[in-house]
Amino acid sequence: MSPVSKLDEQAALVMPDRGRAALNALVTGLACIAAALLVHFVVGSMVGPFVTRIMLDAGVMIILAVSLNIVNGFTGQFSIGHAGFMAVGAYVAAGITYYSSLALFGSYQAQTGLISVGSLIFAASALVGGLAAAGAGWVVGLPSLRLRGDYLAIVTLGFGEIVRVLLQQSNPQLFSWDETRAASLKELVPPPLGGAQGFQSIPTYTSLFWVALFVAITLVFCFRLKRSSEGRAMLSIREDEIAAQAMGVNITNLKVRAFMFASFFAGVGGALYAHQLGTALRPTDAGFARSFEILIAVVLGGLGSISGAALAAVLLTVASALMIELGPWRMVLYALALILIMIFRPGGLFGVKEAWEVFGGLWRRKAVAR
Amino acid sequence: MGDLLQTLITVISVGSLYALIALGYTMVYGILKFINFAHSDVVVIGAWTSFTTAAVLLPRLGVTPTEAPWWAAAGVLMLAMVVCGLVGFCVERFAYRPLRGAPRLNVLITAIGVSLFFQNFGQLKYEVLKPDGPGKPAMSLPFGAQPQGMPRLVGSRALNDATVSRGTLAGVDGAVVRLSEGVSLEERRQYSIRVTPAGAPRAIEAMVVAPAGRYEPGQDLRVGFMPAGAAPGSAYALVRSARVPIQLVDVAIVATAGLLMVLLQLLVYRTKFGMAMRAVSFNTTTASLMGVAVNRVISLTFVLGTSLAAAAGFLYSLKYVTLQQTAHQGWVLLGLKAFVAAVVGGIGNIQGAVLGGFLIAFVEQFGARYISSDLRDVYVFGVLILVLLLRPTGILGSTVREKV
Amino acid sequence: MSRPILDIEKIAIAFGGLKAVQDFTLRLPTGGLYGLIGPNGAGKTTVFNLLTGVYTPQAGTIAVDGTRVEGTRPHEIAAQGLSRTFQNIRLFGLLSVVDNVMLGCHVRGRHGLAGTILHSPRHVAQERAMRRRAMELLSLFDLASAAGEQAKNLSYGDQRRVEICRALATEPKVLLLDEPAAGMNPQEKKELQALIRSLRDRFGVSILLIEHDMGVVMDICERITVLDYGETIAEGTPTEIQRNPKVIEAYLGTEAA
Repeated sequence: MSPVSKLDEQAALVMPDRGRAALNALVTGLACIAAALLVHFVVGSMVGPFVTRIMLDAGVMIILAVSLNIVNGFTGQFSIGHAGFMAVGAYVAAGITYYSSLALFGSYQAQTGLISVGSLIFAASALVGGLAAAGAGWVVGLPSLRLRGDYLAIVTLGFGEIVRVLLQQSNPQLFSWDETRAASLKELVPPPLGGAQGFQSIPTYTSLFWVALFVAITLVFCFRLKRSSEGRAMLSIREDEIAAQAMGVNITNLKVRAFMFASFFAGVGGALYAHQLGTALRPTDAGFARSFEILIAVVLGGLGSISGAALAAVLLTVASALMIELGPWRMVLYALALILIMIFRPGGLFGVKEAWEVFGGLWRRKAVAR
Repeated sequence: MGDLLQTLITVISVGSLYALIALGYTMVYGILKFINFAHSDVVVIGAWTSFTTAAVLLPRLGVTPTEAPWWAAAGVLMLAMVVCGLVGFCVERFAYRPLRGAPRLNVLITAIGVSLFFQNFGQLKYEVLKPDGPGKPAMSLPFGAQPQGMPRLVGSRALNDATVSRGTLAGVDGAVVRLSEGVSLEERRQYSIRVTPAGAPRAIEAMVVAPAGRYEPGQDLRVGFMPAGAAPGSAYALVRSARVPIQLVDVAIVATAGLLMVLLQLLVYRTKFGMAMRAVSFNTTTASLMGVAVNRVISLTFVLGTSLAAAAGFLYSLKYVTLQQTAHQGWVLLGLKAFVAAVVGGIGNIQGAVLGGFLIAFVEQFGARYISSDLRDVYVFGVLILVLLLRPTGILGSTVREKV
Repeated sequence: MSRPILDIEKIAIAFGGLKAVQDFTLRLPTGGLYGLIGPNGAGKTTVFNLLTGVYTPQAGTIAVDGTRVEGTRPHEIAAQGLSRTFQNIRLFGLLSVVDNVMLGCHVRGRHGLAGTILHSPRHVAQERAMRRRAMELLSLFDLASAAGEQAKNLSYGDQRRVEICRALATEPKVLLLDEPAAGMNPQEKKELQALIRSLRDRFGVSILLIEHDMGVVMDICERITVLDYGETIAEGTPTEIQRNPKVIEAYLGTEAA
């Protein structure tokens, strides 16, 4: 009776071949790994330790910025406690690798080699850290995401502070497995994560390979999410909640999901950050200073633009490495830049679009003019 | 019982500070519907302006800060309020007004930008005035990255201490004094001795550390220290500290904050400007159609809110004399708690801000005293989440419907 | 008589002391095209908001195709087959036109995280089908050429039609149109009338519409309900309504004489 068929009927007609889909997924996965290997061995051998360090920092920042973009860019909510989730992931992952290294290898030294038992434990701990952060995201998001955006901002900011206070209450770090085994319950609860002194001697597993691999996974995840029906639904929440609901979008559910995705990757980013050379985790890592830095990257890139957030993360990391000499002026300039961007380019570098859409558009327009 | 009363006094004093700050958040939210994240930084500027005036400007005017008369303190407060009012005006004019009508997210981020700017700009240091004599501090603008000690403009005295005996010192030997009159020192009470050396304008106070018991005239009494200047023949007063001391500072805070809140209440509900403000808050477009100069009302609201914040900063520095540098997280936490107070009371509602201020102080102080002091920030945010769950618009807030 | 597709029984809501809608009852049969009219502020849009779950009725029942929906959340009502357009257009301005319409398909899709991220065959097929359906709908409304534009850049009339497309994409049983002809010129209105009639036939959708333009309402609606101050003052065929003295009074006021 109707010329326009239902969605289900039409989907059945265009179902792609199962084998090809599997191949497609495999190729994507291999491409991520290949890219990571390329960065690790080829690029890594060409640059010195200073540049390597910047690349590691930039990679972690990309993960953080791109993931925060899911909440602030896609769904238009306003989370400013991203560092809190990052800290949850960092502490959980570092706790796992540190104490399991003590137990298994008798030392907190990282095992050598790209793929070792230790590095696999590290990768797993990063995922567990991410899951822990996602769990925290669920706990925070479920009550606050029912409310208007402004409140979420304050709840997330408060969350970061609560994480900081709780981490300060953690027990002193234990420095050998014997000590750990002999520890009384009182020394283990709350967990021995160093308290206000900070958590040190974390095995150094974060390498260009792992950072590049997780960056690739994060980017693939976010791009595919943005281009999917769920991603569109998230974007529709940002544009108009009431219309989105009227079209059948379960806004609370999607907001909480977006929040959990973002927290998960923040946790993974935190894990990578924790296992860098010479990192000592401190409770203040959960505070707002770091959260604001991530937020600035998202805004600078353009809320909703994945490539924008990634590019801005790299720019900011490089800039802040170069501006170290400016000392206190660095943050003053940061702040001024943020205000000026909001006034003169409120959409950030790329707005909601991706880099190639913006540049592609320019190119096309020029072509038409010609 | 004494503990309870003491904690209650702190609640009232700290609560009125939170309330003062919360008023600024609530007024701006009521009118522009956005969280002015930079508000807490205005509190900081207020505190540091007070410090700079009290520690640097007053001595140059020939007033010793610790012996300053009450009007000097009032002057410091006024100056801080004027400076911060100006800051508020500029922030609204140059950072927020260009974004009027922009998406809320943009305005919020701008507010964070302004906040970061103040925090970090305040920590820069350029010595504008060199010290003009030994012992005179340099005036630094902005305020530098070190904590500073605020001079005690209001003496650290309790109002309800009891003077148990007066006389002249019969002898001084290091930290041992001989009184001219006999006294009885009770168990578990604190005593102090205030000695006024001849010719000195103010008494020097020292804690009595002698054990309880009866002391006859001429008997030695051990004190914590007895500084130079106290000699036999100096007048003294032996003071018994109250079980629940009511500090002069707390009284000054509550009185000043109370006065400002009453003035604000009168301004908002009894004047033409207040009516304009409420009109703009109710519906900006309609208000402007009715001939209200919306921009001027918004500007003035900012000026009002920021000068209240300045007063809070001044009073805060009187109570907590160690001033942290401007980007210190303690300040942000102070602002956050005040904001939580505004939200809990019902953001946009003036009475709500006051109520929320006291409620948050209550939860924080009682939690810190009776459960664990380390977790005081956790209680505050716990209350926030609880209230948001039970009553999303706050205790006195009204529900707003979006037009569909 | 068969079961009505939309069965509204005595719904009511008051905001404070203001009784915005009282005892509103309406039975829309399958394939029906009914109108809701009334002076400004009569409560017409409030009725739509009650039906779509923006407000929860304080009394009364609403059933879509036999399923009670009052008190459920807006997205659940949309899933039950009630879709709408808005008086003050609410498109997703920064999204492209085709994305707007594809969003309408969201509610009929099945979504799994793994499928979305790993591009499972189901997911890929669903995305393709959504795009096809969206393009089909847009072509029906002569909007295919604008598919890639950001929705906010379209003309007013086009935006209204994209909204209808988006609502249809949810595969509704009942379509609520809130002043679809507002801001259109006579020519556009004429086209719109034809379009609304064809919607019912092509999509098998039943329609309830709010409209100020009496010409449009009287021409296309089978039955009309008239609201004034939240109360139903008349119900009947266009001819009956035109003759009803109460309606004339509501629109023109009582004669002074």
